[in-house]
Amino acid sequence: MTVTEQALDMFVHETGGWAASQLEACTRCGMCAEACHFYQSSGNPEFAPVWKLEILRRAYEQRFTLIGKFKTAIGIEKKLTDEDLQHWSELNYYACTVCNKCAMVCPMGIDLGTLLHTVRSGLAAAGMVPEELETAVMKQVNEGSPLGMTASVWDSRLEWVADEWEVDIPRDVKGADTLVVFTSIEVMKFPTNVAAIAKILNAAGEKWTVSSIAREVVNFGFYEGDEEHEKLFMRRLFDGAKELGVKRIVVTECGHAYDALRFHAPNLLPEANDYEIIHITGVMADLVKSGRIKLQEGFFDKVGTVTLHDACKIQRRGGYIQEPRDILNILAPHAFKEMTPNMEEAICCGGGGGVIAIKAADPIRYDAFTLKIDQVNKVGANMVTMTCSNCRLQFTECVEHFNLDWKVTGLAQMVADALVE
Amino acid sequence: MNWNDVLSFARGPLFQVALLVFIAGMVYRLVRVIGLGWSKDRVRPKRSEAKGVVMSFLKGIIIWPFIPWVKNTFKKNPIIYLAGGLFHLGLFVILILGTPHMLAWKSLLGIGWRTLGLPIVDWFAAVTIIAMVVLFINRLINPVLKLLTGPAEWLNLLFVFLPMVSGYIMTHHLFFRYEVLYSLHMLTVDLMLIWIPFSRISHFVFYFFSRTIHGQEFAKHGVRA
Repeated sequence: MTVTEQALDMFVHETGGWAASQLEACTRCGMCAEACHFYQSSGNPEFAPVWKLEILRRAYEQRFTLIGKFKTAIGIEKKLTDEDLQHWSELNYYACTVCNKCAMVCPMGIDLGTLLHTVRSGLAAAGMVPEELETAVMKQVNEGSPLGMTASVWDSRLEWVADEWEVDIPRDVKGADTLVVFTSIEVMKFPTNVAAIAKILNAAGEKWTVSSIAREVVNFGFYEGDEEHEKLFMRRLFDGAKELGVKRIVVTECGHAYDALRFHAPNLLPEANDYEIIHITGVMADLVKSGRIKLQEGFFDKVGTVTLHDACKIQRRGGYIQEPRDILNILAPHAFKEMTPNMEEAICCGGGGGVIAIKAADPIRYDAFTLKIDQVNKVGANMVTMTCSNCRLQFTECVEHFNLDWKVTGLAQMVADALVE
Repeated sequence: MNWNDVLSFARGPLFQVALLVFIAGMVYRLVRVIGLGWSKDRVRPKRSEAKGVVMSFLKGIIIWPFIPWVKNTFKKNPIIYLAGGLFHLGLFVILILGTPHMLAWKSLLGIGWRTLGLPIVDWFAAVTIIAMVVLFINRLINPVLKLLTGPAEWLNLLFVFLPMVSGYIMTHHLFFRYEVLYSLHMLTVDLMLIWIPFSRISHFVFYFFSRTIHGQEFAKHGVRA
């Protein structure tokens, strides 16, 4: 089977009535382009979401519709080739974070993000995933983490965090209520976040634990669109949860992991619905609301201006829109200012969807971030907070790249700093 | 053959054939899509999906350019919003509230309704035609649309434009004799009806799928649709 046939096979497999009816609904009006941060920042018409989807549209029509067959028969449209796949691989993996902003503006209401994920599935089946992303996936398959957080690294890092910040991190506690799964980005790059979350949960008296089986919440199989990898990484989490007998799984500040676990897993693994899956933002908001933790009001009012970056997978795709705002209105009632646009129509950071893992996509990624720079500068913020470590990684890197003097932080860290003990 | 014969043909047998092609074609398209199968979604929704669907249609039909979360895009691409919106509005007013069209519906469905006066419908027709010209020019110059536009997209515009313009000229009794204009209007309507199942003008059917899905998805994810 040629590479293209493998992709087509996957497209056929994934194209049920759900996808087909939406592909049929598209009028090719091009409005989605204006929602895409990659199109806006580059002006490259090929970055229009509808064009990234073009390969799926062609595959669907050529396989399923009379018109598509007619078009290829008389030569108006060419059959898909390996070169096409290569081209669309770059469009989709380099210049799309699957942030789903496009779905917000589509006059037909097409859920473009999910369809773009299907495009990735086809490309992954054809082995057209960019090399660096594939390397990271294989690292997660073999070592348990794309960032090289093996069992022993995880062990020593957590021990170090517990020591350094003098915080208790319960490990492999059977019968705990809550399993917390950190991202390797936090463990390896933002260890203060790990300490912060531990501090918050301890202060609330939560019966929580981490698991040495379920170490890594990141799911690079979700990025590349390979269902088997995605399931493999999810299964590790559910195995850990099952072993410890927990009731709920808390995803820490990681966007795509929450999306994958909350909204993908139930359709891939039946055991997913045995657990409540909740993002740390929701946990913190609940703890504050129920009075289980107390925060010093206005603790961050003195820093100048704080703004919140809405993460596509936590806010627009995750529904935690009001929660971080409620918390910030306690932490910094005067200093907190909103960017525009915000909430579900926020502009994506440009680093998600695995884009940040691909070196060749760097110029595109930096370009997209210029939109964010404009936004933050417009509110005059000197501190930007967010609920996703992947966004935070993109921010931290871009702040260095563009030489900006903002402080970049995570919401959990702010909450932990302002705890009344 | 004189124009009266052409008119009888275009209004009679050809119209019936066109209607048949239109209906059979659209039913085929629908059955084909539905027949591809729908997998069960086991994800527990965060909000009421029914409410999400209602909101999705309201957003789609009534308040679309004015709601805050599309304003940003509206500002960046006002031409396509306004021209696209006015085109659809005009189209529905003419097709449903224009007296001759109501009578055509009445002969097909057996029920009639009150219509708008000709001068009002005439204004809508003018706006619709201008909107189509604007959309045509936009398709010529917008870089994304240039990429997306092939023969099919140009034919879509043409096949909708012809009945629109011939109808407008007919109501104003311009250029040709009435039978000629009426014949041309009916011929172009027949042509359009036959073309629709082969084109993306059929989006009016799949619109109900995509908007429903939109409402479900956004409610599932806990976001207002």
